[in-house]
Parts: sequence; structure tokens; C-alpha cells
Amino acid sequence: MALLDTRKEDIEHHLSKYPDKRSAIMPLLYIAQEEYGYITEEAMQEIAELLDVDITHVKGVVGFYGMYYDKPKGKYLLYICTDLPCALRGAEEFSQHVCEKLGIQPGETTPDGIFTVENVMCIGACHRAPVMQVNFHFHENMDEEKADQLIEDLRREVKATEPYRSE
Amino acid sequence: MADTVKITIDDIEYEVPAGMNLVDAAKLCGVDIPVFCYHPKLGYAGNCRMCLVELGTPRRNRETGEMELAWFPRLQTACTQTVVDGMSIRTRSEKVRDGRRIILELLLSSHPLDCPICDKGGECPLQNLTMEHGPETSRMYWEDKMHLGKHIPLGELIYLDQERCIHCARCIRFQRLVADDPVLGFDQRGRRQRIITSSTPPFDSIFSGNTTDICPVGALTTADFRFNARPWEMVQVATICSHTPEGSNMYFDTRPDREAGGRTTIKRVMPRQNEQVNEIWLSDKSRFVHHYMEHPDRLTRPLIRKGGKLVEATWEEALEEIARQLQAAEAEVAGIAGGRLSNEDFFAFQKLIRGQGSNNLAAYPARVAGAEFVAQVGVGVGTNFLDVGEGDAILVVASDLHEEAPIWWLRVKAAAERGATLIVLNGRETRLDKFATHRIRYAYGEEVATLNAMLGSLDDEHIQPEREVEGLEETLRHARGFEASPELAAAAKAFAGAENAILIVGGEGVGAETSHNLAQAASNLLIATGHVGRPNNGLIIVWGAANSQGAFDMGIHHRYGPGYQPVEQPGLDYAGIIAALKSNDLKALYIAGADPVFDDWLMEEALRATNAYIIVQDMFLTQTADLADVVLPTQSIAEKEGTYTSGERRVQRFYQAIEPIGESKADREIFLTLAQKLGHGEARTVAGLIFNQDIAGAVPQYAGITYQALARVEKQFPDVGGEDLYYGGTSYPNRHGLGVQWPVAAEDESAGLVVRPAEAGSRLTATDSALVVVPVTVLYDAEPVMQKTQLLRQRVPAPYAALNPADAARLGIEAGDMLEITSDGHAIRVMAVLDETAPRGAAIVPRRLQAQGAPLAAVVAPVVRLERIGA
Repeated sequence: MALLDTRKEDIEHHLSKYPDKRSAIMPLLYIAQEEYGYITEEAMQEIAELLDVDITHVKGVVGFYGMYYDKPKGKYLLYICTDLPCALRGAEEFSQHVCEKLGIQPGETTPDGIFTVENVMCIGACHRAPVMQVNFHFHENMDEEKADQLIEDLRREVKATEPYRSE
Repeated sequence: MADTVKITIDDIEYEVPAGMNLVDAAKLCGVDIPVFCYHPKLGYAGNCRMCLVELGTPRRNRETGEMELAWFPRLQTACTQTVVDGMSIRTRSEKVRDGRRIILELLLSSHPLDCPICDKGGECPLQNLTMEHGPETSRMYWEDKMHLGKHIPLGELIYLDQERCIHCARCIRFQRLVADDPVLGFDQRGRRQRIITSSTPPFDSIFSGNTTDICPVGALTTADFRFNARPWEMVQVATICSHTPEGSNMYFDTRPDREAGGRTTIKRVMPRQNEQVNEIWLSDKSRFVHHYMEHPDRLTRPLIRKGGKLVEATWEEALEEIARQLQAAEAEVAGIAGGRLSNEDFFAFQKLIRGQGSNNLAAYPARVAGAEFVAQVGVGVGTNFLDVGEGDAILVVASDLHEEAPIWWLRVKAAAERGATLIVLNGRETRLDKFATHRIRYAYGEEVATLNAMLGSLDDEHIQPEREVEGLEETLRHARGFEASPELAAAAKAFAGAENAILIVGGEGVGAETSHNLAQAASNLLIATGHVGRPNNGLIIVWGAANSQGAFDMGIHHRYGPGYQPVEQPGLDYAGIIAALKSNDLKALYIAGADPVFDDWLMEEALRATNAYIIVQDMFLTQTADLADVVLPTQSIAEKEGTYTSGERRVQRFYQAIEPIGESKADREIFLTLAQKLGHGEARTVAGLIFNQDIAGAVPQYAGITYQALARVEKQFPDVGGEDLYYGGTSYPNRHGLGVQWPVAAEDESAGLVVRPAEAGSRLTATDSALVVVPVTVLYDAEPVMQKTQLLRQRVPAPYAALNPADAARLGIEAGDMLEITSDGHAIRVMAVLDETAPRGAAIVPRRLQAQGAPLAAVVAPVVRLERIGA
């Protein structure tokens, strides 16, 4: 199923915003990521055609930005800031705890496809370090219990809804 | 604005052209500002930071109101600056030297420093600039170097070493800005940043080799030259591309090779700068096809047919036999010469055939004609596409320049980007359309009618012949009988009103007759609008071979002798030769450097049927040679010297690079030995003497040109190579001659100009079961020399016909189906490809993807789907 079939309206909305359509590349990549969980090769090809650019350019943009994934990732992205202020407040140990709890390394995805953990640079909430960003939500002043609780909650939420990926 | 401005470099004042880039301006003043990412042909990117200088610009002091020089507190990148009056820079201060040293230390922080095994070692800007400006040691930890992939193929031709890359983006910008194949890009960022290509096939560009020249490090190398030789071991031998008509200047880099038993071999082909011809670029075909020259299949000894088989013979035996046959044949001989021969070869060839009393001469390929119009109104001496821009016009008719003449495509496209009005007339969409101001589609068969209609649509205000023209009234009356659409009339007006106008005539879909008429119509339009006799005005014909222009100049023509002087008794043309072979009205046929059987089933039929004695002279045992009575082994361009004449009529020299293969001889030597045996004159076989004495004496247009003058060079800008490796890339400066253009008749202002009504064909129309089958030229074809080059052979597609999806649906054809197309009783088999750009009712069939694989000219022919395999 092509993106244009499922998200035509959104795509047209973004295309209409720019005088040069290649400028719409980032919102379109987000749409693809929302749709498939990550940006597939086919989606890149489709976006290249929609924007009349070479697929090499689309791949370059996906590769440049950390928030685009060209491989399957978890439903929940756990971004743990390990920059200086957070590190001073124990973010490294915190990250290690979260990883141990999930049984993965930073950058990896749990086998059930629910969580991906990434250690990231400053996300702008130093005054409430350590912080963890879950998809687009911030969780501040984190500690190990809060993290455990959050992970359980999210697991329950996934089970309550449809499986994220059919495979 | 003044044309020049004054700038100060290191306390010395210079006057430089206004609006120039600061790095270029400094270069012009003899001051080298080191760069990696900046390139004079690509403009600036400002991402390597190597060109840091101290910069001062004039600014008004707010307190005193006086102008004063204000120095930027920090170092600035010179490449992002345009010179302004009063600008001052320092390029040698302590601060600048510090800046350069630190930039190099950073660029080298993850560089593998594998210069001893790097192809670029010895001609590497990074190596050179590090020696000159860099730190002696690095403060970085060796263990912390970033390790990335090496030996990554970006396609079959180009390899990437990610560790060596310094992210200057020259290759990416070349592909985007110059080649319009934006198939390279960056992936990732920071220390992981790397070059990628995702096109299908990978690195899909016919100009990919150029990226290795402009790469300032060893990141991009060619599959051809990888680990093959060191730059300093090689000797450069100047040569000319012998495959397409632009006359690209190049060097063979040669070296004695152990694997070749100590023979000198060609290690690589590099561009030789000629800003009037190919600048510093080469197509991949020019660069990589040379392997056939040293291929083991090369003929090494003469072959004579004995008992139905070709068997090896001595030269003496073969030449005696040929002389005897030619003597017996007297004037009943004909000659066909291919466009890879040199001017000296052609001259000797026509001397031999005309010595027999025959004017039966044809240049091959014979499908493009009209050289006599070039002799009258060809582009003026001094024409340079680089000078064409705003206010000028270029009209391209019946050509896919990208495939027929890639370097012209680059230069025409660039002229359009500089503001020239580009008019493209074709039956289908080509890659030039994107840059065109006027895109006109004609129906196949109406090529000439379209040009006539353009002329007919012009009102008196635009008819400005500037001098007496014979036949103008009649021609205009005739042209007004053709109807022009409003779009076509607008294009005609733009063409006529342009300051300078060049008309390029190609060979797409047309055969010899239409091609001739097209040149007539083009010539009429140029003369009537006054676009002749001046630089950047006039006619260019896209010939089917590298030296077709030279063939006609030397008189390889049934109606014209050397220098376009009409012969008293016109001979047979190519079609006439075929007819005469069949009717046995010829006793001997001499084919040199051409393989007509590969293209033309009519020729095969004639050669099989005839009793005539067939002499074939070639490098390989071609399909034509296979039908010969005697085959003579001849030399490639690498084994001899001589001259070629480009499609812009630039006569250029090439030099001997390697020893002859086997017993092969230069074409001219063979012809002249025979001519002497037959008593047609003495055999003067030295190329320079033939050029300076025989050709100069017989071809008036060449009379003022000497062999020595062709070797003259002058300083070109931007200067490349030499000390300036980092500036222009590794393409070589031209040390062996820029060539000389010969003047056409129109350049003599007292010369009369003649126009005549151009006979127009009629529209070809598809029927229920038949399509208009249009032969087109592709760069990567399957001609024998391409077959011998492993590297390029992989890009040659299987024979195909491109159909519009609507026609395919109508005829029940799907992509991938095998089709049979029959015309003139000959059937070809091609694979169906569905292509939106193919016009309705047409089947676009590339020439030379297989033997006899396309009709000679556009024709209405039934297209039948063969049973699907497994259906």
C-alpha cells in the first residue's frame, strides 16, 4: 500500500506549504515513519518520486537526522539524555538500569518490538534532570522506580490495544 | 559597474575582473589560495575551510565618514567571497598559516594515511597541501581514528574509500550541477558521514569518471586504474576521443608493463584541458573504452580467403593480391571509410580510389549527411559554447545530444543555464527538454517540414541575411507553404532575434536523404536570419563517428573531392554501392575502418551476393571482415599519429602511445603502399608531411593550417593540473595542442550564400498493427569495440523497443515481451519496454544494441508480440 493511498490528504497538505516541493521532505518522512513504524525502502522511493528528487537524496536526509529510522524500531522510543547536566544527576546509571530492565543495549529494540532505547544529547530539560523522552512526551526528574513503573504501564497499554506490527 | 576592480593581496595591488570569485582572482594574480571543496567549475560550498585568509573590506567609518579598510577579526573563507574594489587579503601571515595547519590536522584526524597504496598518491591535493601547510605530527590519538568502509563499489566504474573522504562534496556537486545526474549524496553526519548512491543501476551517470579527477583525495578511484600504476611512472601521450564527434582532448597515460612482457601499455585515460572543446570533462565511454585497443582479439596478420576460409598471409602476399585485383578492376571499384580513420588516412584512401578513376566513395556511417552545408555555414571560427549565454540561442533538432555527443550536451545545457534560449525540436522527450525554453514535438517524418515552417513563419523584420543570398525569394516562398504552430513561430522568432545562434542537427530517426535535407533546411534558416559567418553562429551536424567531419573534408564523398570541390563525374553513394554490388557492376570494394554489416542487412545481402573482390581493413575480424576476400590488420588511434577534425571543425593532433599490435599497419600506410604499387603517385607516409604538403595543397580550407600550428598551446583559465592539483583536479593541462578550426565559406564576407528549398518528407503514421519505428543512437551500444571492454559492457542494455503504454495496451504488449519488428523484409527481435516519454504511435529502437538491430531510418513497420515464454 503506497503512502499516497493511505495518507493522501496529509501529503497534499504538506506539499501545499512550500514553493519548492522538495522542501516537504521532512514532514513526508515523518508520515512514512508513522505509517510503517520506520522508513522503508519503498517509502523512500515513493517520496523521491513525489518530490522529484533522487532517492539518494532521500536516503541522505534519513541518514542525517537521528529521529528517522530506516530499520524497524520499537513502538516506544525511550530517549535518555546523557549530556552533562543529566550525567551529573546520574543519567548514565539511570540509562544502564533501564537497559538492564529491558535486557537490551542503547540503540537496540526489545524482541517484542515495544521499546527502543537511545542515549541522546541534550533535549532541553536540564533543570529537571535526569529526563527521558518517550515518543514526544517528556518524563522529568526520573529515577529507577518511576522508570520501572512507566515501562510496566506502557507494556500494559500495548497489550490493551492491537499489536503494533502484524508480523 | 567597472569591468575591473582593484584588490590587494599580501600588500601588492592587482587589477582583476569585477564579480570574480576571490580564489579565482588570486589565482589569476599568481597567488595560490589552497582549497579542497572549491572548484572553479563548481563554485563554492565553503565546507572544507582550507581557503582561510585574513580579509579586509572597505567600510565607512561612522564617526569620520571616511572610507577605511576594516579587517574581519577572524579568518574568512576566500572561496565564499566575490572581489570588491578596495578589498585586501593576507594569505601568508602567521594567523593564516596557523589556520591552515589546524584545518589540515582536523581533516587528517581520521584519514588512514595509506598514501603508499593509494592511487592518488603522487597527484593528491591532500598530500601536497599537507606537505606544504600541514602539521608534521598529529595530536590526535591513532586509536581514536574513525574506521569506515574501503573498496566500496559505487557502481562498476567507481570505487569509494570512505576513510579517505574529506566530505568536500565536489563529486556530489559535479553530479548535481554539471552532469544533472544527482545520484550521489551524503548519508549520516559528523565522523560517520559518507558518500552514497542509491540509483538503479548504482552511480547511474555517463560522466561518473570525472568525479575521480576532481576528488581532492583518494576517496574516489576508477575500477580501470585501481592499484594499476603510480602517477609519476606514466608518460602522457596526447590523443583525441575516437568515438563521438566532439573531439574531446585526452591523454593516454602509458607505462611499460611487466604483465604485458615489458610492452608499453595504456594504464588510463585522462582529460586534457581544452576550454573550447571538452573543458576538463570526459564521458565514461571516452575514458573507459580504450581496452579494445590492446585486446587479444586484435588482428595481427593479414588474412586471405583460400578455399572459402580466411587464412593468415604475409603483407607482401596480401598487398600483391589486392594490387592485382584493383588493377584489373580499374574504375569499377568503390571505397567505404569509417569515421575513426584520421584525416591523413582519408586523404590517402581517396587518393587510392580516385587514382583508379573512380568517385565511388562513401563515409560511414552514411546515415548522417550534409557536410557541404557545414563547409558553407558551419559555426564560425572561435565558436565556444562557453561564450554562449544570455541573448543567444541554440536550436537542437532531431538529436538526443546526451547520447549522441555527451560533451556537447553538457555544454549546451550549461549555456541554457547561463540564460541562452534553448530550442529543442524532437519527436520525443530527451534529456535536453528540461533546460529548454521552447520544446517542440514534431511527428516523425516532419523533421524538415518543421524547420521549413520555422523559416516560413518569420516576417520580414526577422529575415536579415545581411548580404546577397541566391535563391532567397524562392526558398521563402517554399517555406511559407508549411504551417507553423504558434509555439513554433515563437521559437522561430526567438532564434532569429538572438544575438548569436547555433543550430545543431542530429541523426535521430533520419537516414541519409532526410539528414541531407535537414541540413539544407537548417542552412536556409541560419542564412535567412543572418546567423552565419561569425563566432557562435552557424551549423553543427552531430556526426555518427568521431572523424566524420574529416572524412568529408578529405573528399570521402561521391560528389566532392578534397575541400568540397565538386568532381566532374559523380560516383556512387553508399546506397548506390550496395545496388552496384548486387548487380555486379563493381569489381572491387574496399572497406576501411567500418563494419556496415553490423548495422545494415542490405549490405550483408549485397556482400553475400556479389562477385566483387572485397577488401576489409580493420582491427578485428568484424562481421564485415568475415565476408571479405582479404582482411588487413590496421591500427587503433593509440598506435599511430595524425589528425582528427571535430564536429566544430577543429583540426586536432593525436600522437602514438603504444607500439603497433602484431603486424598491424596504419591505414594511410596501407593505402599509400597500394597506391604506389598501382602507380597513383609516390608513397609519402609520414602523417605530418601528408598534412603539411598533400592535404594543405589539395584542401583549400586546410591550406593555412600547419601540423606544427595544431600543437600550439596557450594559457587557459582555469588552470588545472601541475602545481594546481588542488584547484582544478587531476585532469591534465594541455601541453600538446589546442587545435585549429578551419574557416567556412560564409566567413569570407565577399562569398555568396546560397539557399534552396529544402525538400520535406511527409508524416509517418502508425496503423492498427504497425508503429513508426524510430532508430535512435545510444552512447552505450554493443558495437564491437564496446564488446571488448568488460567495464562498459555491463551497462549495455539488451536490445529493446520503447513503447508508449497506451500503444502497448492497444497491441496487447506487456513490458518484457519479446517483439518482432519487420521492415524491408528484415525482422528484428527486441524486448518491449514501456516508457511514458515514447510518443504515441512510435517504437523507439536504439541502434547497434545488436547486429542489424534497427532500421536505418524511421519507418512504419508491423510490431508483433512473440508468444510469451511459458504462455
